[in-house]
Amino acid sequence: MNPLLGTEFASSLARARPGVVAVFGKRFGAGAGILWNADGLVLTNRHVIGQREPRVLLADERSFDAEIVALDEEVDLALLKITAENLHAAPIGDSTQLRIGQLLFTLGHPWGQRNAASFGVVSRLDNARTRGRRGLIPIIRTDAKLAPGNSGGPLLNAAGEVVGINTMIVGGDQGVAIPSAVALDFIEKVRAKARILAS
Amino acid sequence: MSQNENSLTALSSALADAVQRAGQSIVTVDARRRFPATGVVTASGHVLTASHVLQDDEIKVILPEGDELQADLLGRDVHSDLALLKLSSDKGNAVKTNQDPQVGQLALALGRPSTEGVQASLGIVSALGGPLRSPYGGMIESYLRTDAVPFPGFSGGPLVDAEGALLGINTSGLGYGASITIPTRLAWKIASAIEQHGGVKRGYLGIRSQLVEVAEDARKALKRDQASGLLVIGVEGGSPAKSAGLIVGDIIVGFNGQPVSDHDELLGLLQGDVVANPTPVEVLRGGKQQIVQVTIAELQESEPEARRHHRGFRRWGWGRR
Repeated sequence: MNPLLGTEFASSLARARPGVVAVFGKRFGAGAGILWNADGLVLTNRHVIGQREPRVLLADERSFDAEIVALDEEVDLALLKITAENLHAAPIGDSTQLRIGQLLFTLGHPWGQRNAASFGVVSRLDNARTRGRRGLIPIIRTDAKLAPGNSGGPLLNAAGEVVGINTMIVGGDQGVAIPSAVALDFIEKVRAKARILAS
Repeated sequence: MSQNENSLTALSSALADAVQRAGQSIVTVDARRRFPATGVVTASGHVLTASHVLQDDEIKVILPEGDELQADLLGRDVHSDLALLKLSSDKGNAVKTNQDPQVGQLALALGRPSTEGVQASLGIVSALGGPLRSPYGGMIESYLRTDAVPFPGFSGGPLVDAEGALLGINTSGLGYGASITIPTRLAWKIASAIEQHGGVKRGYLGIRSQLVEVAEDARKALKRDQASGLLVIGVEGGSPAKSAGLIVGDIIVGFNGQPVSDHDELLGLLQGDVVANPTPVEVLRGGKQQIVQVTIAELQESEPEARRHHRGFRRWGWGRR
């Protein structure tokens, strides 16, 4: 076994950490979010956003008011935009390549503990029925520990790339994440709509 | 991911490979009203699973490729919560085994409670132990524990190492409020006992006993340094102990040629070939060593409903109808 294995856990997390933000969208508590690109797009869960105008706290402690670009109630995603320089986006991975048993990491703010990590494996890849017209969407289930404050934060593969958005805890010990492919699809649709509106 | 290959991504792929490899031997066992459970193919046509998940007379096994087969129950051992099934055809790939579990090694708990495919959780082998008194009174010679999460339907499924080789069979059915794993070596032994005799023979002696110190003089009589033995404080009427003439006040210090210094040791010896055979029981009677030949009877299993209220048994630990 490679003696560096233990430290590679840390270096994979270090790749993703600058792209993990905290999102304050409600009166109490905070969720996590993913800095999706250097233009300031931030992806998080819809349920992290409340009545308050969301504020985004970056890993480097800078804090910005965010504009809500789009909300998707059905798959619990929200797209925010901040205007800032020198942004380090999280690397985005391909969730369609995931296999059962592969290592996964989470980064978020469980119970308010900032930038806390946990790890596990891909436990199950299946579909969940949404309440809307989309019907079934793929989901990732993991044994990595999640807690309130992880919502909207990244589920990462062994290379530190975002493969999912941590969204839910079931049965107390299983985490559910929305695959990055579903998020990409959501963002692409929002952009397409914006292009139509602009033209 | 190619530009980021490192030993961590290699480990990640290796774990996924292990799941895939072991997954070929993991089947769905559908014989209860709740969601199905999991089983492991030990040899083609044979599936080892958890006894408590078999509640219906009709047992359906679904192979990884999706073939649905009927299965017959060859027998069960409630003490270790294992049951062996015979499939209606000689299908299935036998699992690779690892008979030498190490505390600290990576372990994956796997299950296939649905046709969506195999499911996994990761942990390590946390502890090796045994013997352990089963809630049914029998002894489990050895067991292991893991911190891998046993998700619903994982009972009867395997704990595998990082290569996908079987470390043991997981069950949450023994009611300790947690899952335990019956190690491969013991599980195979029990499976072969079930195949040969329909179950593990556990003996019945018919005494109540209490742990006592063996006095200095008695140790001399035994010609060995044994600190404790079992004082007989009751003999059941019509029992093998009664017929053989064991009496209240005897101190049992040996069984079938092995020293016995506590209850667990006696229970550990009171199984297998001794059942239905005359077996020497070494006692101290009036401070003198004496051998009494006892023809050990077979312990009768009570029905599951009656067993529910057995000592040490938690009702919620079992799948309910």
